[in-house]
Amino acid sequence: MKEFKFLFAIWKTNLQSAMEYRAAFLTQAIGMMVNNFIYFAIWIIFFDRFKDVRGWGVNDMYVTFGVLASAFGLVSLLFGNAFNLSDIIAKGRLDYYLSLPRPVLLHTIASRTIASGMGDFLYGFVSYGLSGYFTWDGLARYVLATLLAATVFAAFLILTQSLAFWFGMMTNFSNLVLNAMLTFGIYPITLFDSYAKLILFTLIPAALMGAIPAEFIRAFTWQTLGELLLGAIGFLTLAIFTFRMGLRRYESGSAIQIEV
Amino acid sequence: MVSIDVTNLQKTFQTKRKAAGLGGSIRSLFKPDYSSVEAVRNLSFQMSSGELLGFIGPNGAGKSTTIKILTGILHPSGGEAKVLGFTPWIDRQKLAYHIGTVFGQRPQLWYHLPAMDTFILFGKIYELDDVETKKRIDFLTEAFEIKDLLDVPVRKLSLGQRMRCEVAASLLHRPKLLLLDEPSIGLDVVAKQHIRDAIKRMNQEEGVGVLLTSHDAGDLEALCKRVIIVNHGQIVYEDKVSNLKRKFLTTKLVEVRYAMEVSKDFAIQGVEILKVGHYGVKLKFDTTKTAVDSVISHLSGAGDIVDITISDPPLEEVIAKIYQEAENA
Repeated sequence: MKEFKFLFAIWKTNLQSAMEYRAAFLTQAIGMMVNNFIYFAIWIIFFDRFKDVRGWGVNDMYVTFGVLASAFGLVSLLFGNAFNLSDIIAKGRLDYYLSLPRPVLLHTIASRTIASGMGDFLYGFVSYGLSGYFTWDGLARYVLATLLAATVFAAFLILTQSLAFWFGMMTNFSNLVLNAMLTFGIYPITLFDSYAKLILFTLIPAALMGAIPAEFIRAFTWQTLGELLLGAIGFLTLAIFTFRMGLRRYESGSAIQIEV
Repeated sequence: MVSIDVTNLQKTFQTKRKAAGLGGSIRSLFKPDYSSVEAVRNLSFQMSSGELLGFIGPNGAGKSTTIKILTGILHPSGGEAKVLGFTPWIDRQKLAYHIGTVFGQRPQLWYHLPAMDTFILFGKIYELDDVETKKRIDFLTEAFEIKDLLDVPVRKLSLGQRMRCEVAASLLHRPKLLLLDEPSIGLDVVAKQHIRDAIKRMNQEEGVGVLLTSHDAGDLEALCKRVIIVNHGQIVYEDKVSNLKRKFLTTKLVEVRYAMEVSKDFAIQGVEILKVGHYGVKLKFDTTKTAVDSVISHLSGAGDIVDITISDPPLEEVIAKIYQEAENA
């Protein structure tokens, strides 16, 4: 409970900091929504031409893209520093978080809000609303699936960026796998054979951020819920373990830094 | 009671070495070369509760590394340390409730927000209730004279104003020990004095112990009772500040002004003449080699003295001398 109080205080401060530049905050959020609409138009044109890809239609794409955007947006909004972790580690900027009496990983990733995440997060709900699959219990599943997909995504970011403890700056590598995750996340899962699917559940867990949550939203099954829960808990545990192991190797630094 | 107890503390960093130029970069890519740098070497010292201890040394001496180990930021390579009874790198979170830290080059105040917002956030981080936080902010506002600064975004404060707010923020949770790493870096004389006065007050009124690293000998003279001087990760001198001055301040600087013109050949045996002007001389001598009264009698014998000033050399010079002796040893 006390960690939630602390998290709310951090998020409130993040929001206050972002609101210092209201125009930038609003344009980023709205701009990202518009950006997503433009991007998704390609899929609308594609499915208008081909109708379906191995049983996967444009309505499925609306749900998949929606949940992926909402999960991405949620992590950007609440744990924005997860995208920056490698830089923070390599430049010795964990000192601030280590000198305060809070869990260092949680404190670090929660200390930044990326305003455009609001656009992604809201866009996802609109996309789900337009999918034709909308029901009220489907909406409840959408919220749960977004939370679990966001957990997998945040854990994957922490995992890859924590490699900076061993290899130094990993921002480019992390961006590479992040892009792979988002790209494969919105592809119809029916395109892939079983080996490719194995990779999409493990090495680049894109299926746990797009296709599986979408399946769970469309129709409840214990299997999809189990896969999502297992993926979220498994990746989170691995991410926390890797970060903690790495923290023992942390070397700090002498660069000048500021907390924004 | 002991607040810091350090025994044989060591910290070694692995540093990548690379020859200059593109060739060096390519070789380093395939065959990286690492060397060990011993930042802290078998450091042992104690600090009592409520003590004001200066921890000084040149760049790269291991001061900041030591402070980072004592706050739990870094794991040591060897040795032991207890801070307020906690092992910092094991009990980091528990220890953090009882210590305050200020890193001069690493602000903790949120840059785009007024300092008040960081104070309130720190209240939550340290689990203070809202009433207690407000009372404490009021007290610190008065102690550090920052009432008018709290509502201004930190980015708009001067460095001196910001540092006052930084130190005040680090005291919000009533720590028993304050670890200050270069708190006066880049500040002007007035700003330094403001901070020194406030720290002194907190030490006297609340018994907060202060471990201070600084390049500024003025901080040391104004604040600390005891000093540890480190170089290359080792202690090269440890004593009371008053003893440091007595032992090393054996050189005297003298400036004399005469009523009549001074001869260009002005000289006294065993005294170094620094400058001879039309009506005055500036000289330096070592009191262990040349007696003070002999110098004075020579000076008064040279003409009618209008004014005379005898002073100690600045503490910076003393410290530089200690570094030099340690280097030579």
